Amino acid sequence: MTAVLRHPRLGLGQRIDDGTTGRATTSPAVRRAVALAVFGFFATLFALAAFQSVVVSGQFEFDSLQRRLEDGRDRSQLLRAEVARLESPGRILEVAGGRLGLVSPPTRLYLPSVVPGDPLIILPPPVGDPFSRTYQ
Amino acid sequence: MSRQPIAPATLGRGASTVVAVRQTRTRFRRRAIFVGLMLATVAGLFGWRLASLQLLEPDRYVAHGEAQRIKTLKLRAGRGAIVDRNGVDLVLSVPGQTMIANPQRVEDPVRAAQALARVLGTDLELLERRLSSDKSFVYLGRQVDLEVAEAAVALNIPGVYVNEEWERIRPGGDSALSILGRTDIDSIGISGMELVYDGLLSGTDGERVVEMGLGNASIPGGEYSVQPAADGRTLVLTLDRALQFEAEQLLLEAVEAAGANGGVLVAMHPDTGGILATATVRRSSDGVVRISSEHRAATWAYEPGSIIKPLTVSAILDRAVAAPDTVRQVPPRLDVHDATFSDSPFHETMDLTLAEILRRSSNVGTILWAQDLGAEALHEQLREFGLGSVTDLDFPGEASGILRPAGTWSGTSLPTIAIGQGVSTTPLQMLTAYAALANGGVRPAPTLVLGTRDDAGVFEPRRRGPALRVLPVAVAQEVVGMMEQVVASGTGTRAQVPGYRVAGKTGTAWKAMPTGGYGSRGNRSYVASFAGFLPAEAPRLAVIVVIDEPSGDVYSGGRVAAPVFAEFARFAARQLRIPSADERVESDREGRVMALTPARQAILREAAEVSRLEQSGEMVAASAISG
Repeated sequence: MTAVLRHPRLGLGQRIDDGTTGRATTSPAVRRAVALAVFGFFATLFALAAFQSVVVSGQFEFDSLQRRLEDGRDRSQLLRAEVARLESPGRILEVAGGRLGLVSPPTRLYLPSVVPGDPLIILPPPVGDPFSRTYQ
Repeated sequence: MSRQPIAPATLGRGASTVVAVRQTRTRFRRRAIFVGLMLATVAGLFGWRLASLQLLEPDRYVAHGEAQRIKTLKLRAGRGAIVDRNGVDLVLSVPGQTMIANPQRVEDPVRAAQALARVLGTDLELLERRLSSDKSFVYLGRQVDLEVAEAAVALNIPGVYVNEEWERIRPGGDSALSILGRTDIDSIGISGMELVYDGLLSGTDGERVVEMGLGNASIPGGEYSVQPAADGRTLVLTLDRALQFEAEQLLLEAVEAAGANGGVLVAMHPDTGGILATATVRRSSDGVVRISSEHRAATWAYEPGSIIKPLTVSAILDRAVAAPDTVRQVPPRLDVHDATFSDSPFHETMDLTLAEILRRSSNVGTILWAQDLGAEALHEQLREFGLGSVTDLDFPGEASGILRPAGTWSGTSLPTIAIGQGVSTTPLQMLTAYAALANGGVRPAPTLVLGTRDDAGVFEPRRRGPALRVLPVAVAQEVVGMMEQVVASGTGTRAQVPGYRVAGKTGTAWKAMPTGGYGSRGNRSYVASFAGFLPAEAPRLAVIVVIDEPSGDVYSGGRVAAPVFAEFARFAARQLRIPSADERVESDREGRVMALTPARQAILREAAEVSRLEQSGEMVAASAISG
């Protein structure tokens, strides 16, 4: 059986003085310093957590940009290949003869860049803009 | 251990409390010691474990931790593109999708194979076999379409993944296939330019070392280093895509129309030796004429026939054996040693100048003058033109042709070689020889490569091969003048191009039978050809057309090959902005400008820059290119 100890009129925060220990006293300045230190410690922790959050989100954004860059490069290469395919003479001929139903002429006519007998007179530029609605 | 209560009768008032406190303190102390010992033991265990982790075998655990966190990602280097002289993509690499699997993680290989076979269009048995294997990595389909890969991934089969790898494509299809060559599925060159310049086109993979946490997210401030991938260099060819396509189309039509076995067309810039187009077509076993993957312009040695006559005439003029207007009596037939040579069409004995002999392509007249020239001189001149040795093209499988030393010639060698039989050349060798005539007697080094570009677009020109003078300018000009007569009123009139002075020569060679000999009349095979250049007064385009074994009654070079030359030359003159005689009248007059495309302008700027660098000696040797 265990005896239960009860000390008469023992308030909260008070120590049992059994004569073996001295009474502990703390000055207000020390208390304030401790409180400040504790506050500073937690404030620093909070700031570190916030900074870490910023760094993590930055890193996430960096990773995301890097993935987009790689995807963009791949896509540009695919588009480059598609442009080359669309511009290839074989494909143009295929579309012209197939989808558009064009036929090759019996003979080819090559237009000369200079017509024989060309007087070589430089044409004056048009007055005003001929494509403008207000042009008379 | 039992606790014995203290008998209260032996103690005074208050004594029982003091005794209880002391006993409690003792028990508390014992408990505290016990708990302390327990904690110390646990702490000791932790300490021991810590020491063993940190001191006894730290490397193992550090490596284990790093392996979990630090990932090395491979940065794929792209294989360089191959572009034409205008920067148009002929071959390039694009990211492709490859389906892979870890069979160890595939739960039901049979069902997985059935599902994947429908999507991938692959053989079911093959997929089953691969998915049931005891390996940890198998390919299910390489370089499949993006849609197919997405559909396969959507099946959500455990152990089946998609991986990216480069895929090599030719946007122009089979155009210029014989030059560009192929790569294997791992993008390693196995033929053509892909093989020759594999070292330049292949890049160097890089890597990114990054410390990753859960979900493969990078750890901020963690280990991070990047060794960037170095993409392969872009190879800039001398080819012009439009000319290449036109050459192939014309050749396909001509070979089909002539019922021939195949054909070759090569176009070259006579000054630089840059090959503008080189097409090879062949009739397949199914009778259809297709673009060939063999570059026969360089790999096919054949007896050239009469197109060799301008080279023979060059030697005659150079050794001052005769002048263009020197007259000689030419009989219709000539017996030399044990052979009889004749002219076609038949003619009575007549007086012909050397120019007329060339214009009429007289075998007898050419042989008579060649006999005066001598075997040694003819052999030496033909060697100087490049016959019998490979060119500077540096193309795999290039044939050297056959030109035996003059000392080994038989009694009929001189007359036959003088008219293009008993000697074999490649179409490229003949064109290079013609380019020498067009180029004032200087033989250019044929090339297919202008240079290379790096990632930043900086162009590094390829140093030109050595150009050799093989004839004096005056002699070359005389031969060109005689060749103009061939086209103006001789055997090559179908090679005329309106607006341009054309110089050239036809050839209708007998083709050796596989069993030896050339067969008899009506049972012969021919090789029809035409080689020429324009404008004759300042050549900018040299072309050779060779039609192999035209069938039927129309088989001569003048009727089968010359029209193809004319059609191609008309197109090329427009494409290359070669002004006609009319267009060049007063072209330097103020106010007249030649229309240029942006690509052409860029080429001219580049050429001017290269020329400046060459003159100042600053040009970087492109030795790595030829390596």
